[in-house]
This record gives sequence, C-alpha cells and structure tokens, in this order.
Amino acid sequence: MTGWLVAASVLLAAGFGPTVWGVATGPLERRVVAQNFGTSVVCLVMLLLAQAYARPSYVDLALVLAVLGPAGTLVYARLLAEDLTDDPPHARVLTAVAASAAVVVVAAMCLATGAGRATVKLLLIGGLLVAGNVIASRALAGGFPKGAAASRD
Amino acid sequence: MSRRLRMWVLATGGFGVAVLLVAAYVRLPRFGGGPHPYGERAVAAALSRHTANVISSVNFDLRAFDTLGEESILFGAVLGTVVLLRQTRDEREVPPAPARIAPAVRRYARIMLPLALLCGLYVIAHGQLSPGGGFQGGVVVATALHLLYIGADYRALEHIRPVGRYEVGDAVGEAAYVVVGVAGLLGGSAFLANVLPLGTFNTLASGGTVPLLNAAVGMEVACAVVVLLARFLDQAVEIEQGPTRKEGKQS
Amino acid sequence: MTDVLTLISLLLVAASATAAVAARDPSRQALVLAVLGLALAVLFTVLQAPDVGLSQLAVGSALTPLLILLSVRKVRRRGRREDGGR
Repeated sequence: MTGWLVAASVLLAAGFGPTVWGVATGPLERRVVAQNFGTSVVCLVMLLLAQAYARPSYVDLALVLAVLGPAGTLVYARLLAEDLTDDPPHARVLTAVAASAAVVVVAAMCLATGAGRATVKLLLIGGLLVAGNVIASRALAGGFPKGAAASRD
Repeated sequence: MSRRLRMWVLATGGFGVAVLLVAAYVRLPRFGGGPHPYGERAVAAALSRHTANVISSVNFDLRAFDTLGEESILFGAVLGTVVLLRQTRDEREVPPAPARIAPAVRRYARIMLPLALLCGLYVIAHGQLSPGGGFQGGVVVATALHLLYIGADYRALEHIRPVGRYEVGDAVGEAAYVVVGVAGLLGGSAFLANVLPLGTFNTLASGGTVPLLNAAVGMEVACAVVVLLARFLDQAVEIEQGPTRKEGKQS
Repeated sequence: MTDVLTLISLLLVAASATAAVAARDPSRQALVLAVLGLALAVLFTVLQAPDVGLSQLAVGSALTPLLILLSVRKVRRRGRREDGGR
C-alpha cells in the first residue's frame, strides 16, 4: 500500500504546491487556471488516498469533487467574465497534463481493483473529471463572451 | 476607559486564554495514536445499531439532538438572510439580459445537472454506509440546480426554482426531524431514540432512524441553500436601487 | 510515510491560508479560498476524517465562491451606479 501513499504524496507536493503558488500570486488569468488545475490534482490525490488506505468509500470524495470542482471553475469563468475578456487564459498544455494524469491514475486504479462495480465508478469519476476540466478551461478561454456577465449597466 | 487601561485588560485576557490553552494542550492525548476512549465507545455503539458509518451514527443517533441544533442554526441563518436581503421599497426589479454562453459549456451544464443531482441524492442515501450524509448531499443537490444559472441564464433557473416551494421544503425538512424525534419519544424511551428496526449491517436500509434523519436534513439543507442563493442572485442580478415602477411587487 | 503526507498537507494548508489572508481583492481572495478548501479537504482525509472533508468539498468548491462573487458583483454594481449618478 505504500506505493499508493508515495504516489499521493508526490502528486500532492509536485502538483498542488505549484497550484497554491499560482493562485496566490500573479494576474487573475493565471489564478483561475491554477484553481482549475488544483481541482483535478486534488481529485486524483483523493483517488490515490482511497487506494492507499484501502477504503473504497473514500472514492466518494473524488466523485463529489469531479462533479462540483468544474462547476466551481465555471462560477469564476461566468462571474469574472468581464475581468477575463481582455486576455482570456489559454492553458492547453496544463489541461492536457491534468487529463493525462487522470487517465494514468484511473487506469492504474482500475488495474488494481479488477473488474466490477468499483471499476465502473472509477471510470465514471475519471470521465467526469477529464470532461469537466476540459470544459472549464474552455470556459475560461472565452466560454462567456462579452455581455455574458449580464452586465446591463 | 483610557487606551492604556484597555490595553491592560486586553493583555490580561490574552494571557489568561494563553495559559488555559497551554494547560489544555499539555493534557491532550498524543497526536495520531494511543487509546481513544470516546472513539472506542462510539464505534461499539454504532456497530450495535448496525450503522456502518460511525460518524453518521454519532451525528444522527448517539448525538442526534446536537444535529437538531445545527440544523436549526442553518434554518435560522437562512431565515435571517431572507429578511435582510428582501426587496425594499426603494429598490426595483430589472429582468436581467439573457447571457451569451459557448455551446460546449451549455451542453456540459445540461448533461451535468441530472448527474450532479443523482450524485447528491446518492451521497444523502448512503450517509449511513459511507462518508457523506444529509448535509453534504443537500449542498450537492442545491449546487446542481444552479448549474442552470452557470450554463444557461437566470431566467432558466427561475423556471425550475419556485422559491416559495423551496421555502416550504426547508420548513418541512426541519419539521420532519422533530417529528422523527417525537416518534422516538412516543414509541420508545426518549426524544430522538432510535426505535426503528435496525436492518442488516451495511445495507441501504440499515441504521434504524439514521437514514430518515439523513433524508430530513438533506431536504432541509438543499432547500435552505437554494433559498439562500435565490436571495443572493436576486440582489446581484435583478434588484437595483431606484423607485419602484410597479406597485405591489414587494415580497 | 503517513507522517510525510500529513506534513505536506499541513504545510499546504498553512501556505494557502496565509495567501488567503494576504489577498486584498475579494474576487482573487475567493480563488485562494477555493484552493484553501481543497487543501483542507486533503488534510481532513489524511487525518481519516472523510466526512468533514466531504463537507468542505461540497461547500468550498462551488457554493462559497458563488456567494462571494455574487456579493462582489452587487457591491460593484452599486458603486458603478453611484459613480455614474454623480
């Protein structure tokens, strides 16, 4: 079980550490991208922790985060649209990194759990996470064009 | 009181708190290990009541009365917000302009809305088995509905969100908790006593009253969050300062 | 190994909490707050309190940002109206 724990620690330190730095400093564009990336990283960390502690029910945290995390980023994309339209953040590389990390982690966990209902749940979480992350970064990069912020004044 | 005296009072108070905190920390059990007198008893009690998630057993069975208090705090807080953020006489309602949203985001929101709802209901229903329960699931359900505001616009959200009904739902959820408690008083020994059959360990119907109380809290929290966000959204999107144009529009 | 993980998550919580206090602009602060929520959720899970972690995730990831940003928008709109009126 230590391998999973090491993986979780490495992902947390190497993925979430820079996220905290990215969200705490710099222009607004970089901060929203960091928030979106952080959601993906933490979701994967939750999956790895569930495997490390041998507690399949901890996977529910990853499920809730895969559902609500992208929704949170969409909230920022929508309500900060006015501030983001001048220079919408494109983060193709970061999105691709997050998506491939999700594929690797989910695939490894599916191999470890074997076929069954747990695998279906893992695949669902992986799918939701990747789709949510891609859509959220699309939304940040101009998903809410000018006027979308319902600014009538 | 002079500034000097006030600083003395502050310093004395701060020192007292610091001494108490240090005294408390010294007597704390060691971090992350050793015996857990409360934990062991709680686990034994939860297992004897066929509740797999000990936290749910503590929240909704062993200390269900505390949870009634917490639920009432949320109820009262939302009630206060509703009163504070109501439309006053010198404010008017301006319908917001429809939003322009990328089709991909719109599609995502439309697909995710039922999925997120289902996820929230799953978290509520499995409260007695796995991490989660009424509060967490209720918040997920309420957030799910607001995907419609994010992915479409405010008018679409208002369409599926008759605030009045959610206010009633909020009150019903709160009342249902008390009703289950009174049922425990009538059918068993005490208020909120776990009187229902306990069921088979680790199944959806296990735990006696725990799933029922979870459902009541889930309903209360979901409706309360919807009502809360409705007031915030009204203020942020619709209500503007200025004279009322239509009479009788106040609510 | 568990201690290392606890230490990492504690450090991340401390760092993001400090950043949340240091941020002055409310909308940026809301972003830092969301990341702080994620760090806290990891810490709770590492300390074997997944129920609390789940509460944190449910409230922190979408609900709190929505409430903060709606309040910011209301205040900004009012400010803009008053500026325009003068």
